[in-house]
Formats: sequence, C-alpha cells, structure tokens
Amino acid sequence: MALATVCELEFTYPGEHEALRGVSLELEPGEVVALLGPSGGGKSTLLRALAGLVPHFHGGRFSGSVEVGGLDTRRVHPSDLAGTVATLFQDPVDQVVFTRVNNEVAFGLENLGTPPAQILTRAAQALAAVGAAHLAERPVAELSGGELQRVCLASVLALEPRLLLLDEPTSQLDPEGAATAIELARASGAAVVVSEQRPERVLDACDRVLFVADGRIRGGELPEAWLPREALLPDAEPSGPAVCRLEDVSFAYGAEPVVERASLSVGRGEIVALVGPNGSGKTTLAKLASGLLEPQRGRVTREGRACYLSQDPGRYLIKERADEEVALAVGGDLACARATLTQVGLAGFEDRHPRDLSSGERERLALAAVLVAEPDLLVLDEPTRGVDPPRKDELAALLRAQAPARATLVVTNDLVFAAEVADRVVSTAPERERAVA
Amino acid sequence: MSPAPAALLLAALAAVALLADRIVSVAAIALVLLLVCLRAPRGRRRMYLVGALGSGLAVFVLTPFVSSIGWHVIWSGPTVPVLGQLDITREELRIGLFQGLRLTAVALAFAAYALLLDHDRLVQSVRFARRSVLAMALATRLVPTLERDAAGLVEALRGRGVEVSGARGRARLLGPLLAGSLERALNLAEAMEARGYGRPGGTRTPRPGWSRLDRAALALGAAAVAIGVLWL
Repeated sequence: MALATVCELEFTYPGEHEALRGVSLELEPGEVVALLGPSGGGKSTLLRALAGLVPHFHGGRFSGSVEVGGLDTRRVHPSDLAGTVATLFQDPVDQVVFTRVNNEVAFGLENLGTPPAQILTRAAQALAAVGAAHLAERPVAELSGGELQRVCLASVLALEPRLLLLDEPTSQLDPEGAATAIELARASGAAVVVSEQRPERVLDACDRVLFVADGRIRGGELPEAWLPREALLPDAEPSGPAVCRLEDVSFAYGAEPVVERASLSVGRGEIVALVGPNGSGKTTLAKLASGLLEPQRGRVTREGRACYLSQDPGRYLIKERADEEVALAVGGDLACARATLTQVGLAGFEDRHPRDLSSGERERLALAAVLVAEPDLLVLDEPTRGVDPPRKDELAALLRAQAPARATLVVTNDLVFAAEVADRVVSTAPERERAVA
Repeated sequence: MSPAPAALLLAALAAVALLADRIVSVAAIALVLLLVCLRAPRGRRRMYLVGALGSGLAVFVLTPFVSSIGWHVIWSGPTVPVLGQLDITREELRIGLFQGLRLTAVALAFAAYALLLDHDRLVQSVRFARRSVLAMALATRLVPTLERDAAGLVEALRGRGVEVSGARGRARLLGPLLAGSLERALNLAEAMEARGYGRPGGTRTPRPGWSRLDRAALALGAAAVAIGVLWL
C-alpha cells in the first residue's frame, strides 16, 4: 500500500500564481524519489503539499487530494503530520529555532512528545549520523553554511519520519558531504522525496526520477541539460597578467585561523574556480581577494575595480525595483542596469519588486547587480546555489564570453560547473596544498 | 547560575530601578548592571551599551527642554513656537537625570539578559507560558540577527563598490532589514510548524534542578524589590 498518494492536485498561491496543475503520484514506503525541474516549476510547492503546509500555512486555492500515511492533509494540521513527515527546507538559516546545536536537534523531538529520557540520546545519534557530533555544544550562529545544513538534516532525521522531504538539501554541501547526506536519507528507511538542481548528486541514489516543470510532472526522458555530467576539472597553468595576487595571507575571525599562509593569483582573461570542503576558508579567501577583508598577515595586491557576489541573494534586495537594484553599482544608470538584466535572463522583470522574485530569479538578480559594474576582478561566491542546469549553462557561457575583459574567481562546491566554466581549479583541501598555501 | 533565576533577578533589578525614588539608588543599580554587562564579549556588548547609555543620555538632555518644572532657573533661552520659552531649572535637570538613569538601568537589565543568558535553557526551564517565553527568546535573538543582516547588506553593497556611510546611509537599510525580518519570521514559523510546534502532548529535555545559588538569586531578587518599595 502506498505511503503517500497525490491525486489530481491543483494549487494556486494567493495572488494567482498557479504552482501545481493536475499532479498525481504515489510514493511507496522506503523508496527514494528525485524531483528535478527548473526553478519556479513547482518542486518546492509539491513538497509543501506533501507536508500539509500547502494549503494550511500558505492559503491559496487547493483542489484534488494528498494523503500521507492514511491522513488527508486537508483535514490534518501540518504539526500533526510532523513525525510522519519531516521536511528539510532550502535555506538552513531560516529554520533554526534555538541558539545551540543540541537544543535545535532536540526541538522537534520535544514537540512530538518523545520520552524525555530518550531526547538527548536520539539528538546525539542523529548528529553523529551526519558527522556533526563535534558541533553539539556549538552556537548555531558560529556554524558555516555547510555545517548548518548538516545540523538541519540531523534535526529531521532525529524524528525518524516515514516520509522525508528534502528541498535542495545539498546546496551548501561539498560533494562528499552531499553524497553522505543523500546516503543517510536513504539509509533512514523512510520514503524520501528529494528536490535537487544538481542531478549528478542524486540520480545514483534514487529509485525514481520525476521531472516537474510548469506545475506538472512531465513523463519521458530527462531533457539533455538535466542528464548527469562528469566533472573533468581543468588544470591549466596560470595565465594573463595578474589582476589579483594573494601572497602568504592569513586570516582568523577568532583564535582559530581560517586561512593560513595561502597564496593565489588570478590573471586577466582567466576564470579560476576555488573548490574545497565546507569550512576550509574558501569564502574568506574570496573576501580577501576582493578587498572586503584585510589580511592579518601577508599581502594582497589588486588592479582596478573588484566586485564580490555574496552567497546570499537576500542581500541584493535593497531597492523596490529590480532595475534600480542593479543600477546601484553604476550610480543609478538604469539603461545599463536593464541591459545587464537582459544578459542574465531577467528581461521583463525591470519593474518587479526584488522580493517578489523566486529564489532562482533572485540569484540572477544578484549576479546582475555585480556584473553591471564591469569589474576588473569579479569574485562569485557559490553563484549556482539554487540555479537549475540550463541556467547554469547560460551562466557559464556568459562568464566565458566576458572572461577576456577581466579576472574571474568562482568559489563553488559544484564541480560540474567548475569544470564547465573554469580554466584552472584551485582547492583549499589540505591534500592539495600545492595549489593554495 | 541557571537562566531562569538569573532572568528573574535582572527583572527584579529593573523593577527596583522603576520603584526607587532616589537618584543615588537608581545610579547604583545602573552601575551594577553596567558591570554585569561588561562581562559580555566586547564585540557583542558594544551595540547594547551604546543603546542603553545613549537613550539615557538623550532623556537627560531633552527633559529640561520639554518640561516646565521648578523655579531655580540656571539658564534662560529664547521662546520657541510650540515649546514656549526655553529655560533650564535645577529641578528639571534633577528629573532628567533621574529618568535618564531609570531608562539606562532598565535597558542595561535587558542588555544583560540578551547578552549573558542562555535563552535555550531559559525556554526549556520554564514550566508555564512556554510559548510566550519562546516568542520572547526568538525576539531577543532578533537583535543579533538584525545586526548580522545589516552587516551582510553593508558587505554586499561594498562588494558592488557602494560605500554606506553616515546615519542617513545606514537609515536607508532599515526598510530592507525590516522586510527581510518579516520574510525570515514567516519562514521560521513554517519550519516550526513542520516540526510539530504547537501540537499537544510535547515533552522537554530533562534539565538539572535549581542549585543553592539559583535559590539565593531568587531570594535576592525578591528582597531587592521589597527594599526598593520600602526604603529606596
């Protein structure tokens, strides 16, 4: 008997955004289903429908039915479905309730009425399972994005749900961490529905793939852009006159050094991908390169204007129109801003409020906000987070086309993207210290 | 010390500052709370101390100009529409100092609560009104979150070559910060509901009972309020 049944589900958000159109599917106990599809295609809404959050939390027009574990989600409140269903949301920062890791993992267990004597044990087991046992006593605010994503995964695994819903669970994890997370979800014995933008991270581990676009589940073969690709990392020699050079730089936020005696050079015309495990100092190195941080030791030299794209697209939502947001970096030149919006595929979005954009669209808006300045050094920190493969291809093509005019440093966990866009890959991983440090 | 008695002690000190009617008593309480706040890490305490001391100073400076009390005039100024004649009396200065110290003491009590208490343990140790305490703990966490968000916005602007300077430049970030907080609050509420928050029959992680120090803090808080009512 199916664990979950979705029958002719149609859903429209308040404000007439039609998100799902006639979706039907069945989920068997223990099976792992990958949801692939373009940004804004309905994957996250389908996950929310399975958790009962659509329509209870979001409102909107709902027709059809969703049953999970024999419970009709229209009649059962999402908090009552918790435990049967557990959801890991896209942005780990926005789902943290407590300030310390072990309390955060215990929160869901407390809500479900777990016997008090078992709460700490189960929380500790879940943290150990995701390789985060050492973080148990740490304040959440001190964790890196990848560490926080592991903690959030532990929080849902601790509930031992029958249906596990994962919304881009690996977006901030390095490849090894991503593989571990997917494997853990599979090993939990729950039915797993995982939404992903990086097919190569889930396809090997899943039993079934559903392609969701325009609010519908599409049958047939996956579109070519969504087929998994091999990451053949380039290994070219440094080329072009150096626009940015870091020599023997060190930096620490507290007592522990994050970057220690690292050296890196990026020349005009080349694209360098900076890869490495979570917490290895990639973002700090990128900020040192772009001048947002000053090294505590060593020297950074830079030529011309540097621009830095943050990991968090929520930091590019200051103005009330998309074109005005982009124009900030060019002294309010709207014509220039609109041309750049077109370059990143946001033509027609000029007068939209940045907060009304989907997560993928916000990523592209943020990219436009830095590209518009035509910097000599462009530093992009995880520019493909939440971006679907066709858009990634477009981004790679855009960066390649503009590469001769500048030096480009791309911090990424996405090795396929790194292979596609970069001339040279530098790793912050300890075993490849010959490249950095 | 456990967070619940510590929070009650801080609340008692704030209450005493409001109940006392001698400047020296309120000043002593504010000084004690200031010393407590100085135990917090330098980077975190700065904003709270500037807020607490700045608001107290503002009350002290503004009170003589918006009140007309006393007859021992120290300075006589021009007549301003709406406010009338600007003059400063000894009594107005005294009241300004008193109210400024009161506000500073209450703000420092909140600062000590926000900076030094383990809010997780506070929520978990409360046996009643847990929802209200959780809401309060989440609201307290909003201050450092807002601080982090503001720093993030400034950094993203600097990353685009746009420098944010002066009070006016920073004031422009208030709107985006507020909108971001509302969005974050909605996402958090959704995530909490998905994790079973609000469902009946919840349990709590076992916590150690109160120590002698905790009981002493509670007694001290009660005694401080009584002394404040009777003698300060």
